[in-house]
Amino acid sequence: MNATASAPSPAAPVRRTPDQFIIEAVGLGKTYGAQRALRDVTVQVPPGTIGLLGPNGAGKSTFIKCLLNLESPTTGSAKVLGVDIRASNRASRERVGYSPEQDCQIAGMAGCEYVTYCGQLAGMPFRTARQRTHEILDLVGMGQERYRLVDTYSTGMKQRVKLAQALVHDPEVVFLDEPTNGLDPSGREHILKLVGSLWRDLGISVVMCSHLLRDIERVCDRVMIIGHGRLLEHDSIAGLKARHRRIVEIAPASEAERFQSVLTEAGLAVVKLSSGKLRVESASDSIEWVLELMRAHHLPPAEIVSNPDALHELFIKSIAADHG
Amino acid sequence: MDNASAQSLDLSRWREAPRGIGYRRWSIVATGLRQLLRTRFFKFVLSVAWSAGLMIAVAGFVFSQSVADGGWLQDIAVRFGPRTEALFKVLSGLVAMFPDVVVHGVFTLIFWAHSFLGLWLSLLVLTVLVPQLITRDRGSNALIMYLARPLTTADYLLGKLGIIVGVIGLVWTGPLLAGWLVSMLFATDRDFIVYSFAPLLRALVFNGVSLVALAAIALGVSALGRHERTTTVVWMGLWLLLGIIAAPPPAPDWFKRASFTHDLSEVRQEVFKLDAVLTDASAQLPLLDRRFATNLAAAGKKAEPADFNGALVSLGVFVVASSFVFFRKLRPE
Repeated sequence: MNATASAPSPAAPVRRTPDQFIIEAVGLGKTYGAQRALRDVTVQVPPGTIGLLGPNGAGKSTFIKCLLNLESPTTGSAKVLGVDIRASNRASRERVGYSPEQDCQIAGMAGCEYVTYCGQLAGMPFRTARQRTHEILDLVGMGQERYRLVDTYSTGMKQRVKLAQALVHDPEVVFLDEPTNGLDPSGREHILKLVGSLWRDLGISVVMCSHLLRDIERVCDRVMIIGHGRLLEHDSIAGLKARHRRIVEIAPASEAERFQSVLTEAGLAVVKLSSGKLRVESASDSIEWVLELMRAHHLPPAEIVSNPDALHELFIKSIAADHG
Repeated sequence: MDNASAQSLDLSRWREAPRGIGYRRWSIVATGLRQLLRTRFFKFVLSVAWSAGLMIAVAGFVFSQSVADGGWLQDIAVRFGPRTEALFKVLSGLVAMFPDVVVHGVFTLIFWAHSFLGLWLSLLVLTVLVPQLITRDRGSNALIMYLARPLTTADYLLGKLGIIVGVIGLVWTGPLLAGWLVSMLFATDRDFIVYSFAPLLRALVFNGVSLVALAAIALGVSALGRHERTTTVVWMGLWLLLGIIAAPPPAPDWFKRASFTHDLSEVRQEVFKLDAVLTDASAQLPLLDRRFATNLAAAGKKAEPADFNGALVSLGVFVVASSFVFFRKLRPE
């Protein structure tokens, strides 16, 4: 089915420019009794694919819920897609999709019926909603299961249908809370590819909450780190990596000992990891100097990875700094 | 936008202006009713409800034939002998001479009887519907799915209220109106329309009062918990248990008022004014023997509401308390 070709094509959506922020929060806070779940979050988030990181209970979900008005912020103000969430409650969610972490299906409905219904609730006419439902369900990798009751779905299928309901009304920004939870490896791969292509191909910004740093690093171009309800970091992944000490990991195909001695002789601090890889601190992001050394000393081929766990280290560092 | 890439995702775009809030609320109502209509139970209840509507139409039609000179009812009466024919003529004469008493009285009786069935069927359907209204959405977190869309808690509640209105409309108001309309289509005299209109309005008023009370109580009970079974038990407790406890005549007034079905019964007696209808008939209609007239007057006395004001206040308390529950429980979560 190629609906793009057959359906009357409405005006192509205009991609938001980097200065048209998708989220603008000023002093946003939320308290539950004595507990402060979110403290004075001030941030301007440009469009793109944004990863939201933080330990359990850090306030990631509260931040999203405040932006969606599912929780009333105690202090501060926020705009989503330029619309004030307090002054224009409904309008602020007009072009926003949300896939919560927990299940949110309506029992007694088939998958396609549920997604169509969600489209209608966003103001889509029934026929359009039904057409988009089938396209989106194809996209998230659901076959004939779409005609089964959602009550009978496996965790993976529920995850897919949740993603479909968040995308059915063609939002400009979609909030995904742990979208790969419960998916098998191939399903996870499929969904990550899809999430990664939403901004690139369709101009749909994604704010993705996940504990899996590798997932975030793979699909996101920006990261926000939240700890104890505070925004600890917000930058592009490239920017964060640039601020981080540069690490190069080398996995020699053979002659690991010679590799290590050549690197040590070059005045580098080499750490041999339990996996057999050699970890070296580098002065720059480039790996040219490693290749030069290999050429000069006729070293065998090796797999070279620059900044392999930069995000992980940065995350741990940010959280530790917050604690300390 | 990179069109080639968009096609690689095989996805059409939707950039039309979204439909208004009325449409979204209506989507909640229509989907809720559609889900209910799929169940055999609701189909069965609907068949009973519309059979009752048909019976109203038939009763109204047969009654209206009583004044049709040379009509089929007269033919039948003639066939059964002179006694039946005389009876028919008496009835015919009474309708012609006292339409304000006879037509008004007969239709009041028909609608009064129908209100029992309508209310009972509504309560029966609500027993199945109440756990599905809000309880299920809270239990399965579907409430988040609603409130993350351009909908407010009030929109959600209005949608759910619309489902209750739809259900009561289908099992009670619809058959009542349709039955009356069909019977009036075949009415032989304008008096039937004129003098049956007031009883119809009274029936609709009672229908409206019941709708407000039942809808508020149903929403309140449904918002109370997250488990469907608990909600069903609470609803049955309010309806049946309190109804049974309040039924014996010696039960104190405050105890009776705790049952919303008892309160609705009081409202029914006041709204339909069956007592006045029976008393008027016994006082105004000639040709009734004294004993019959006395019995009619006694029945009228019995039909008087015993505690209308108390019942109304009690229903008000039910509505306020239920509203408090569902507004408190449905704050954005």
